[in-house]
Amino acid sequence: MLKKFTLKNYKNFKDEISIDFENTAGYQFSTDCITDGTISKMLIYGRNATGKTNLGKALGDISVTIFGTRRYVDTGVFLNADSIDQKATFSYKFRFEDSELVYRYARFSNQELRDEELFINGRTIFSCNFENNKFDFKNLEYVNAETASIDRYLQSVDIGDEEELQESKLPFLRWLLSNVALSNDSILIKLDNYVRRMLMITAGNAMLRVSRRMNDTFYELLEDPDRLKDLEDFLNEMGIECKLILQKLPDGQRELYFGHEKLVPFYGTASSGTLALVDLYRRLIPKNWAPSFIYLDEFDAFYHYEMAEKVIHFLKRKYPKCQIIMTSHNTNLMTNRLMRPDCLFILSKAGTLTALCNATERELREGHNLEKMYISGEFDKYE
Amino acid sequence: MNSYRGEVRKRRQNLLIVEGHHEKNRLFWLLIKCFPEININMDEIWIYGTNIYQLYNDIVREYGEEWAAENEDIDLPFVISKKQYPDKLRYKEDFTNIVLVFDYERHDTNFSEEKILEMQRCFIDAADMGMLYINYPMIESYQHLRQLPDDDFAERKIPVSLRPGKEYKALVEHETILGPKVDFPHRIDDMLEKHFGVSDAEKRKKCCNEILEISSVNRMEKAIENALQGVVAEHILPTVKYQLVDWVTKQGYVHTNLTYWKFIRGVFKQVIYHNISKANRIQYGQYQIPENKYKEYFERLDLTEILKIQNLASKDNIMGFIWVLNTCIYFIAEYNFKLVMD
Repeated sequence: MLKKFTLKNYKNFKDEISIDFENTAGYQFSTDCITDGTISKMLIYGRNATGKTNLGKALGDISVTIFGTRRYVDTGVFLNADSIDQKATFSYKFRFEDSELVYRYARFSNQELRDEELFINGRTIFSCNFENNKFDFKNLEYVNAETASIDRYLQSVDIGDEEELQESKLPFLRWLLSNVALSNDSILIKLDNYVRRMLMITAGNAMLRVSRRMNDTFYELLEDPDRLKDLEDFLNEMGIECKLILQKLPDGQRELYFGHEKLVPFYGTASSGTLALVDLYRRLIPKNWAPSFIYLDEFDAFYHYEMAEKVIHFLKRKYPKCQIIMTSHNTNLMTNRLMRPDCLFILSKAGTLTALCNATERELREGHNLEKMYISGEFDKYE
Repeated sequence: MNSYRGEVRKRRQNLLIVEGHHEKNRLFWLLIKCFPEININMDEIWIYGTNIYQLYNDIVREYGEEWAAENEDIDLPFVISKKQYPDKLRYKEDFTNIVLVFDYERHDTNFSEEKILEMQRCFIDAADMGMLYINYPMIESYQHLRQLPDDDFAERKIPVSLRPGKEYKALVEHETILGPKVDFPHRIDDMLEKHFGVSDAEKRKKCCNEILEISSVNRMEKAIENALQGVVAEHILPTVKYQLVDWVTKQGYVHTNLTYWKFIRGVFKQVIYHNISKANRIQYGQYQIPENKYKEYFERLDLTEILKIQNLASKDNIMGFIWVLNTCIYFIAEYNFKLVMD
């Protein structure tokens, strides 16, 4: 599980900001927000433009580093625009069974890595500094990777420099994962496995422009009547009563309809809330692997408050162990019935992330009306 | 200022609803001074004077007779502002603390067991609708300790025939060891104003504060002299100084190397401890609280149950009695129990 994430000098976060998943406050209610002593369901609030989406992008950066696949086009400014520091630093602390793994790296930009380091149980496994070409691989045997052909790796780093590849510095960790045969119980395989199953979902506005091709793949899935029924059940349970019908048109294309006396095309007719919910389903449910981590940005922007609650309940039931961070402006969810003061956070303009229980001197109890307190300014020093 | 600027919301305000008695404001003033963690800005406290039955009627006027039974979400800042400043309505969403402090007033001609119980049952959260603290028989009960600790407090009660107000106040004044301690800031202020003619309230306030911040015997004289510099006339300065040195010495706080505020904070912790023990005595028949269960015992107290017990005990006009108990100081314990633990 991810225990702690620390970020510095990335986009709007000039100073260091961390999410400490282990910093729980021992509440005896809403215990389903905690898994093995670690926060597994987190809800982040914050005024507009405080960086809720950026924080999600930052969290997902590790999968770019390890796998080299960027999930979204990001043309925005990478480094903090008020800082003279030329790099952004990312640090991820994981715990896999009894071992603690820290992967820390710094980037000049989306494409260029400055340095990377891996620590296991406090021991440096390797460190690479691409800026001044300093490399240290002396503890590779600790992860049973001493057979790695370091020379081959260093060669590839050199080549990268000359040929101006899109990503000039190949992260050693990525190279290691794809070039060394690691045993299945290797901690690096566990890391690989966790990061591979990290999902970033921005519900906000992206889903309203789903490409035709994406729909085709999705419709193909829905051809299975059980799958279609499952989607229908999901929508109904979340509060949208409807009947769905999938038809294959003469030109071979598929089309989704609401079943009324006459068929009504789904896209073009469905409400924003319905579209958002179907999009969530499409990205989440049909996967044949269980996500390890989900960042659900503005997940309920189009939802009725009751549907937002239902979706959280659903996520808790379906993914009890998965670490899910949601961001929202819906203060109705700021309640101890659903969440708890150590799992509800405020992201401030100053770039601080504070759990409600640490944002006031008042001792927060189960009976407190957190939403009302938030609105009346109880936590204003941290907003 | 640009043309986009609309009305700016002012959040984080506090409402203190009392019977208009000076002492209550004084007590809360002192509590906030001694427990700065509570983070209430003195300028953002709105004090509204009324009595509990008047307030009850105001609630009924806005929300109907069945407000309590229907668990209506009562907005007291709205109810009160509508009455007081109809042009400038205020709403509870701008208030972080709403505290109601009333005396038990068994003798009030409007006294109604049902109404007072409804109020106690509904107003249970200072951060939401409001928190009602009823003091038995009245606010002065927080001073009703003869020594510290005072084990006799466990059984301290007063006959229902003893009129609150004058008679009870006189009793407390006679028996209290706390009165002179908590009155101290006001005594300094009074002396400066009335005996030595310092008419500038700001100057007096600043001078008082400097004196109350002193925490060392060695520096006391010099510090008092400095505080008085420019406040009282040069020729009377030595007189005032020696008077104050005497007073401060008698208070005793400087000898424990504490400022007045820190010293009184400790006193309040003891007062709170006595009153939590007492409430436990009233509700569960046991005064002594195991040290490690202090918080747990506080949390299981139920002010509505205590009110019912008090109602029953004081029913008989001749034989009836009222347990002496101050609940409004629970505000500190309620806010964060760590503040009242050592």
